[in-house]
This record gives sequence, structure tokens and C-alpha cells, in this order.
Amino acid sequence: MKKYLLLISGLLFSSSLALAGDWTGGDDLPTNPLPCSGPAPAGEAKPYDGGSPTGAPNRKGKTITVVDVPKLVGIGYFSATTKGILDAAAEMGSMNAKTDGPSEANIDDQITLIDNYITQGVDGVLFAANDPGAIAPVLKKALSKGINVVGYDANSDPDARQWFVNQAEFNGIAKSLVDNMAREIGGSGGVAIVTSTFTTPNQARWIAEMEAYSNKCHPKLEWLETVEAQEDNILSFNQANTLINKYGSDLKGIYGMTSVATPASADAVTQANQCGNIAVVGLATPNAMKPYVNSGCVESVVLWNPVDLGYAAAYVLRAVADGDLKPGATSVNAGKLGELQVINGSEILLGAPYTFNKGNINDFDF
Amino acid sequence: MRMKSIFRHETILFLVVIVALVILSIQAEQFATIDNLLNQGRFLTEVSLVALIMTFVIVTGGIDLSVGSILGLSAIVLGVAWKKLGLPLPLAILVALSVGTLAGLFNGIIITRFKVPPLIATLATLALYRGLAEGISQARSIRGYPEWFFILGQGEFFGIPTQLWIVAFFTLLTGFILTYTTWGRATYAIGANETAARFSGIAVDKTKLFIYAASGFAASLAAIIFVSRVSTTRSDMGMGLELDAITAVVLGGTSIFGGKGTIVGTFFGLILIQILKNGLSLAGVKSDGTYIAIGLVLILTLLISNLFNRNSEG
Repeated sequence: MKKYLLLISGLLFSSSLALAGDWTGGDDLPTNPLPCSGPAPAGEAKPYDGGSPTGAPNRKGKTITVVDVPKLVGIGYFSATTKGILDAAAEMGSMNAKTDGPSEANIDDQITLIDNYITQGVDGVLFAANDPGAIAPVLKKALSKGINVVGYDANSDPDARQWFVNQAEFNGIAKSLVDNMAREIGGSGGVAIVTSTFTTPNQARWIAEMEAYSNKCHPKLEWLETVEAQEDNILSFNQANTLINKYGSDLKGIYGMTSVATPASADAVTQANQCGNIAVVGLATPNAMKPYVNSGCVESVVLWNPVDLGYAAAYVLRAVADGDLKPGATSVNAGKLGELQVINGSEILLGAPYTFNKGNINDFDF
Repeated sequence: MRMKSIFRHETILFLVVIVALVILSIQAEQFATIDNLLNQGRFLTEVSLVALIMTFVIVTGGIDLSVGSILGLSAIVLGVAWKKLGLPLPLAILVALSVGTLAGLFNGIIITRFKVPPLIATLATLALYRGLAEGISQARSIRGYPEWFFILGQGEFFGIPTQLWIVAFFTLLTGFILTYTTWGRATYAIGANETAARFSGIAVDKTKLFIYAASGFAASLAAIIFVSRVSTTRSDMGMGLELDAITAVVLGGTSIFGGKGTIVGTFFGLILIQILKNGLSLAGVKSDGTYIAIGLVLILTLLISNLFNRNSEG
């Protein structure tokens, strides 16, 4: 009931916001769109801008206790990162890791949880932030107690953690999504976005980058509206359905910005018998998208491998705790993933985004 | 002490709190440290401020579901007034408090003037205020508050977190008002029998207006402390706060039908929920297990209390 009412008021406001011109749901940070074709230019090296723990004991070679606090638990995406963390912990044999997160993507619950684990006394915290600023004070507190702090998936303020494992650069994801969309709908037409909330850091960054890249390389793609759907299945379906009914034949494509929104949008398009008329391009896990990709309703799904993401985060935390990964390093060893590059001062890049399609999606299981 | 007072709901609740404290201290060694307990006080602040006034609201037989949304709206107004309109921060705080109070007053006006049941009225404003918050914020979070502002949510006075002083003050103030003043007795009278209260010459509508406005004020004060604690403003702040507050009030023995309830009860209700959340988490129980335990303790406490009080109330 509450969500329904919020939906109504949300729709009222998002339609009034749409008049503002800018894509709703993006952030105000500067964008850096990639070239329309050809390789990306090499980025400039930045000095280390992460934080450091005070009075951390020597943990080299010792078994460490680590808690992983994702944005929320109980969804496929974060189950996959948890699996990666546990895989890495089992492989190393020197890390006791467990995952505990809020049941909804809620800033206050996440903060309280981390605070409790600080009191309990862990050696390391892995996190995926629900808000980059709101989580900063509690992470700084962890650092001040000598706890190693590494983020993955969703960043905090850089100085509130040591390192952040970046699954894919924002402009890379944006380019991949927009290029796929442009190809599928023939380069022009109206597109809408289903996101989690307008202030979720990753989604806001991607949308801002998508806007910049789309305007630069595919100016005939016309942005219609961005709608919020938390990371909620039913709400995502309803929002996508509303978009389909509201814009009719003007709507050529829907971007799904979360692993929940993309399958829900594909489902809405399928149920409205609009497969082939409305393209769905988005971020999602292969398992959730297999039915729609195999039926031909969805052509491309963009993502990195979240199991690898969790796996890399665990290895990075181990390397930091051992003192092997220091400010100024240019790469870090991440087990079976090999050497991962350091970018943007204190981030570790997992790799380029991956596009799943009918030809390869059945090879993946997460 | 008379027999009856031993079996009062507040006494039973107090005993449950003690039992929980003892068990949790044994289960988790980090639990019963001053550091941890004071820290829990920080997390308790926002819901406490709201729950104290919610006690008055529920004692009148009403309910205020919009408090979480008022918190979100006030937080956004604070951010926008300061950053976008360029007001000095102290002035922006006053503006946010006024907006919250007005939002509460508006609830009161709908309820008293148009005779809309409080559940419906505040369910509507729950959506309205949240929508306003999202609209005004333009979906952007506001950050970069000056360092002095964080004293409220992250600092301390004489070793006690700043906001705990505020909670202590309002607990004593509301406890005094509800127990010892004409306002307090009018609140009970309205909840027990509104028609009778009206005929007894009690200013029913005025009292209710004041209580709903106070509820809005409490939510906006909580908003300012919350913003200071997490150092950022978002339009989704305070979602679900109303349920936490109502849970604490009802656990504290306030009758949802009105006419009965105390601040002391609410106080223990708040403490019990918070120590369960924290203690179980420290004892290694994951958050899903913690919610189950809180639900069970809620039911159990209310059952025990009903068992003892059934006879005495006839």
C-alpha cells in the first residue's frame, strides 16, 4: 500500500521533473564519455586518495575475520558476490568471511549493521554502499579502530575506505548499454529508464554517463523519462508497464539499470506482447535473463561477473591486511583472475563489461 | 508497593529488559560496554523523539503514519534551504523545524476540521510529504555540511553523545506533561471517551492540533539529528520510521484504542527493541534472525502483560 502510494506521487513528480531537460536520475559529477568508436584513451595516473586504518595490527599471514555488508541480501546479484567472497576465502584458507546485510537497501540499517560489527571486533569490512556519503562516518570509524576496509560494487567517499574494487568503469558500461540500444532500435526513437532510486550512486553515475555518451554518439535517441523502482520486483514490473502504457508506440526501448529492473522490464514487455517493438537493454544476471534472451525478446544483457567481483574484493582485502597492497601500487594479484590494474588513485578495475546474448548466455550460471 | 503495581505492564517490561540485558551480556562480551551502550543511544535517537510524541497521539486514540515522510521532507528542506537558497545553516534548521511542525499541524487540521480518521489522513500525507521531499530534492542528495553541524549527530558532551542529552530532555519533558499537567489529563480523556471529553469542556480539537503539530516537530528535529549523524541528506530518509516508533509505543503498553499509556512504557519499549537488535547482532545472530527474535519478544511481552492484567481490569 505504501509503495503504491509512493508510486503515484513518484509518477506525478517524475513527470513534472521530465520538463527540466536533463535526464532524471543522473548525478552532477563531471562525465567522461568514451569515443563513439575505437579504443579508449589512457587515463591519467592519480595519486592514492583512499584512507588508511590507524593502529592496525600486523595481520600478515594470520587468519582474519571479515564481514561483508552488501547493499541488501536476498537478491541474486549479491548472492553471487557472496559466493565469490566465500570461494576466495576457501581458496586462501586464511579468511573467515560471512555476509550480513539489510533486507532492504536502506542506509540506516546498513550503517547500524557495520557499527555492530565494529563493536564485535572484526579484522576487515567489505561493503557495497547504499549511499557514498551516509556510509562514510561509520567506515571512518572502522578505519580508526584499525579495521581494513575495502568496498566493491558501490563506492563510498574515497577517504572513508582503503580500496574500492570497480566492476567496470562507468563510461564503459554506459557506452555498452547505449551502443546496444542504438543498434537494436535502429539508431533513433524514444527510450526510458527504470532505475533503483535517483540517488543510488552507481545508477546515478551510469545514467549521467549514458546521457553524455548518448548525446555525443547517438543524438537521435530521445530520452523520455526515468522512473524509480527501488530494487523491487513488483514495483519494477509496474513501472515498466506504466511506461509502456504511457508512451505507446513512442517508446522504442527500456534501459534496466538494476539486476531487478531489467528482467522485470523484459517481463512487462513480454506480457504486453511488445517483443520486437520495445527493446530491453540493461544490467542483469544471466540466469534471470535466460528466458527472455532464449525467447528472443531481449537481445543483449550487459554485466560483469559478480562472482568474480566478490572474489576480487576478498583478495584485495587480504592483500591490504597483509600489507602487500600499499598506496602507490599499480596492480594487485587476485588469485585466478591474475593481476588487476589500479585506476583512479585507489580503485581496482575488474575488467571490461561483458555483453551476454543468445549465443553465450547459456554458458553462465549465476 | 501494592500487588497491582507489581504486575503493571511497565514493571513487566522493565523485568523483560533486565532479563534481556543479562542474557545478552553473557552471550556477547562486547555488549555490556559503556562504549557500545552509548553508541546504541545514538541509533535510538531519531525513533525515540518520534515515539515520545507518538505516545500522545496513540493515547488520544489516533495514529500518525506520516512521521517518516515528515522526517524526509524536513531533511530535504534543511538541505535545500542551506545549499540551494544559501541561508545560513542555523536559519535553515529553523526553517526545517517550522516546515515539519506545519506538516504535523496540517495533519491535525485534516483530522479535526474535516473529521477524517487519523489512519486515513496520515496515510495520505505519508505519500504527499514523501512525494514533496522527492520533488523538492530533484532526486539529488545534499552534502558538504560544515564540521560544527556534526556535533549534533556525531559529537559528545561530557562523554555522552550529544543527541542523548536531547532525548533525555524530551523524555523528562513529555513524561512530566503527560503525567502531571492538564494537557496530559486532557490527552487521556480524549482517548478514553472523546464525546465525554468534549462535554466536559475539554478543548478536544485544540489539544489534538497541538499534539499532531508536536509530532511533526519531533520528526523534523529527528531529521536534523539524522542528517548530522550520516552527514548527508536524501529524500528517502526515514522510510519505515513510523512502524518502528509505533512498535515501541505499543510494546510500551499504550493501548492502540487510546486512553491508556505512559512515557515510561514507551521508554522501555524503545530500549528493549534496540538492545535486542544490537545484542543479538553482537552475539552473531544475522539480521534476519534478529527480526524473528524481536517479533517473538513483542508477542511474548504483550501476552504476559495481558495474562497478568486481565483480572485487574475486569
